[in-house]
Amino acid sequence: MGSRRRKLPRLLRIARLGLLLAPAAADLQAREPLYGVLDDPGLLACEQQYWRGETAAAEGCYRSLSGSAGSLGIRAEAVWALGDLQAANGLFQQAVNAEPQNALLRIRWGELFRRTYQYDEAYKLFNEALAIDADSAWAKIGAAEAAAEGNGDPEEINGLLASVVENGLAPAGARLRGLLMLLHNALRDDEFDKADEILPEARRVAEEGGLSQLELHALEAAKAFMQLQPYQRFVDRALAENPAYGDAWAIPGYYAMITRRYRESGDFYEKAVALEPKHWQAHLELGQNYLRLNQVTKGVDHIETSYAGDAFNPTATNLMRMLQVFVNDMEVFNFPDPPEGPFPALSLRLDKKESDVLKDYVRELTEASMRHYGERYRFTAREPVVIEVYPNHEDFIVRSIGMPGVGLLGVTFGYLLAMDSPTAHPRGEAYHWGTTLWHEMAHVYTVEASNHLVPRWYTEGIAVFEEWRSGPTPGRKIPLNVYQAMSEGKFLPVASMDDGFMRPSYEDQVIVSYMQGGLIMDFIALEYGVEKIVDMLYYFRDGKPLDVAMPEVLGIDTDTFDKQFKEFIDIEYGKLLRNLPGWQADQKAAFEALEAEDWQSAVAAGQRGVVAFPDYVEPDSPYVALARAYSRLDDTDNEFRTLETFWQKGGYAPRPLLTLAEGYTARGNSEQAFEVLKDVVWADPFSQELHLKLGDLYLAHDDPALALREYQVLLALNPPDQAQANLKIATAFDALSDRDSAMQYLMQAIDIAPTYREAQALLLKLSRSTAADAAASAP
Amino acid sequence: MTKTRPTALRHACAALALALLATPPVAQAALYISIIEGLGGMPEYAADFRSMREKVVAASESMTDADKLFTFSGEAATRTAVLGHFADLGKKMQAGDRAAIYLLGHGSFDGETYKFNIPGPDLTHGDLKDVLEKLPGGTHFLVSTGSASGALVEQITGAPAPRDDAPARPAARPAADAAAESKYLLIAGTRNGNERNATQFGRFFADALTVTEADLNKNNSISIQEAFDYADGRVSAYFQDEGKLATEHAQLRGDGAAQFNLSRLNALQLKTEIAEASGDDAMTRLIERRQQLDAQIEELQLRRNSLSSADYLAQLQSLVLQAAEVSEQIDAARGERDVIKPELDLEIPAGGGLGQ
Repeated sequence: MGSRRRKLPRLLRIARLGLLLAPAAADLQAREPLYGVLDDPGLLACEQQYWRGETAAAEGCYRSLSGSAGSLGIRAEAVWALGDLQAANGLFQQAVNAEPQNALLRIRWGELFRRTYQYDEAYKLFNEALAIDADSAWAKIGAAEAAAEGNGDPEEINGLLASVVENGLAPAGARLRGLLMLLHNALRDDEFDKADEILPEARRVAEEGGLSQLELHALEAAKAFMQLQPYQRFVDRALAENPAYGDAWAIPGYYAMITRRYRESGDFYEKAVALEPKHWQAHLELGQNYLRLNQVTKGVDHIETSYAGDAFNPTATNLMRMLQVFVNDMEVFNFPDPPEGPFPALSLRLDKKESDVLKDYVRELTEASMRHYGERYRFTAREPVVIEVYPNHEDFIVRSIGMPGVGLLGVTFGYLLAMDSPTAHPRGEAYHWGTTLWHEMAHVYTVEASNHLVPRWYTEGIAVFEEWRSGPTPGRKIPLNVYQAMSEGKFLPVASMDDGFMRPSYEDQVIVSYMQGGLIMDFIALEYGVEKIVDMLYYFRDGKPLDVAMPEVLGIDTDTFDKQFKEFIDIEYGKLLRNLPGWQADQKAAFEALEAEDWQSAVAAGQRGVVAFPDYVEPDSPYVALARAYSRLDDTDNEFRTLETFWQKGGYAPRPLLTLAEGYTARGNSEQAFEVLKDVVWADPFSQELHLKLGDLYLAHDDPALALREYQVLLALNPPDQAQANLKIATAFDALSDRDSAMQYLMQAIDIAPTYREAQALLLKLSRSTAADAAASAP
Repeated sequence: MTKTRPTALRHACAALALALLATPPVAQAALYISIIEGLGGMPEYAADFRSMREKVVAASESMTDADKLFTFSGEAATRTAVLGHFADLGKKMQAGDRAAIYLLGHGSFDGETYKFNIPGPDLTHGDLKDVLEKLPGGTHFLVSTGSASGALVEQITGAPAPRDDAPARPAARPAADAAAESKYLLIAGTRNGNERNATQFGRFFADALTVTEADLNKNNSISIQEAFDYADGRVSAYFQDEGKLATEHAQLRGDGAAQFNLSRLNALQLKTEIAEASGDDAMTRLIERRQQLDAQIEELQLRRNSLSSADYLAQLQSLVLQAAEVSEQIDAARGERDVIKPELDLEIPAGGGLGQ
């Protein structure tokens, strides 16, 4: 945009490019009401036509205005309404140059920047306006919206909002915009009581000011939908005022989307774009929604439509880039193939570079989870479960929420879940893909079984509980910062658990809430039985809130539950929490001693650490330091015993487990070595050593089919020892009596390493078998 | 009943015989190996360097005659002695001979001069560059495993060291580029002179010369490339296992690393086999026969580009089967196997694998 320069983050820079290249569109586009900010009669006449849904007449009106000899600012508004944002920008620039002390021009220019998603620039313009007119409510509300959309400081935003909403002398339109913003916030946070307080005030302000109530009606529809109330009448009211008002459906569509009711959200957005085909944001949300429902073709169509209409939108730009990955880099595997019914039970969408490594393991774990969750939650999947695994974390995030830079690992949309591949994280990091998959699969069942009505904290609590109870590496795994929060009494009352996810008040509160949710479920399972967790889920499905469900299912109210849960936490962790600082000191000392190569001190600190807190088995556990110190002291017995305890308690760090498997093998206990190695698959399936060892063990256990799988994965990982990998595959095929395939891989091995004695021996064996068969079949 | 060799195998053997007749005699180029153990500075490093030297000496003994293997360690490893040795070597070596130089120890780099730390005055990059330039013969090999050794490579080749954030060895770099970059085969334990911590690379490189895991083409020999790949991989695994950021990134420059062997893993085994077979003519003949077959396989590999794929595979398969049969007979003769089939009785399809 012309002369205004600023540093842009990478993805916004793409949007900026879009801005420069966007064609000078010149037809009527979705816009926001003026709410009285301008009083030019010519412009207002056009606006009235537009907001009555008389789009053809409005377009003609704006066109006439844009070519008139009126003020630069009004001509800018007209060409903006017609969709030529570049021209509007140029006219605003000229207007501001001509009238540098006109705050209103800067405010409207700022609104244009907001419209093009350049919130920092918009925020600056609103503040420039405030420097000219410190009391301008329009500048304040603009700044508040720009700051909110640009993830600004919440305190500042609230301050700006309050200064407008609570100011009876502020223009009604500005106050209404403030109230609408508060209303949106209340609905986003499920604060319906607060919304009920805001709504009458907003209506009163709108009526007294003679302002459009279209958005209010749409928000009332959204609120009713969220509260499982009839909502159509609110939509009808909006459409009675403006039959072409797409937001009548798009706003409820948004709230359906953020409450994970994707089917309804899609229906609403479909209606929105039918009413207002140039509602580019609605097309974008609809496209994303179709992708979440695994309707890829429709999803791509709507995202492309949105991008073509509004190339300024960074989410559209990011999604367009992600679609290239989606279409070009990913491949789909269906199971069973062909399906036994109308659709496959499971579809995997994997990156082509990784599918040979991941496919079988993702399938195995997903199918195991489907059996487990189906039985536990008394629910059978009615659609294919779709798993998408992304090697690039940012692709996964853009696919999930449209914008990068968020630290999620997996996201579930009904029957579809997307997650990071193990390769999305550096080797050695604590990312456990198997647990992530298990966690997300729990959501598939709890969300679908409850018809998407399960509270956020409840489904997260179940997912964490299932990680600990039934996941690939069971055992409670709680990060250190959560213990810290626990010791500081930061756990929430059960009735307020959603606040921890939706309105976190301190940095770690979301992760603390995950863990508290898991502990709550663990407590219910231990004290009341796991069935009660499931029973309560179905109460939610039936629209009953927690304060109804809990007394009926558990026989206690939420206050009593909180008391019992606190006692449970005291029993489970009281001693540990009291000694937490000492334990943390030992844990730190153990690793520091390792760094200093002071093995004896590492052993001493590590031993104190594991005695004080034997259940802590994260990768920074004292077990890991202790085992490493024993290893350096050549004390293999104690190293083995330490790692064995670590594993038995749920430790999952791949390198220590590979060492443990070696220890079991050295002690002749191949069964346990097997179990350990299978656990490593869920943490680090890209370890070549793992697949070689597993393949050998399967072969030794007379299971050549699984040995073959492991060796094929080994080869897919492109190991340095290609000859060995090919020979291993050939050996497995030979054990499966598939001589042709064995020969194919064997010749690869021999071509690489002709003097490889083991390969030579297998060639001799196969050749003799072939000769024997030929002799036997000879007449 | 008399069994005859199947026609295809007879043809393959005939082709092999012709090929052998046509093979020109290979000139016996000599390999001169010089091993210089630097100062440890601390007992644990001194022990490490000693252990590395012992492994490299053992490996080198499998590659060359005792009069072509030179070791400098302790107080004897002075600049004067080392440079005097190379001056002598320059007089002995012939065109076609090759030199392998191991620098096992710490290095330092002050921004201008690389120094390999030995008793008294250190060896500088200028000394070492001069040594390489003055030695007669073909492509020589020098490895410096220690700290700051990347600076030595930079100074010898004149090519700038990789930046700290650059990959040490670009994947699939064309051989022509690698050759143009250095007329010598050079390995350094670090990517430049800024990586100054004591390195892990040396001990893994020495290990590589003695372990079968490093022998990726299973020819019982460890090439420079194989030793480098093994050590480089182990260094990466070491830092990952320790949960530390890697403070060293090894590099390999020059062409022909896969063809330059540093160790024969089966040399001792062969000596033992021959000693055990002493007085047992049949066993001696079998061992010699297998050695011949291995040599023929190696020779066939060298001629690969002059053969069609089908011919190559047919000849290779024939030789491999014969070698396998002989190995089986050796094993059986030692009582390690139960059954010997005395004669090949195989149908080998021309131009492809069995059963294809």
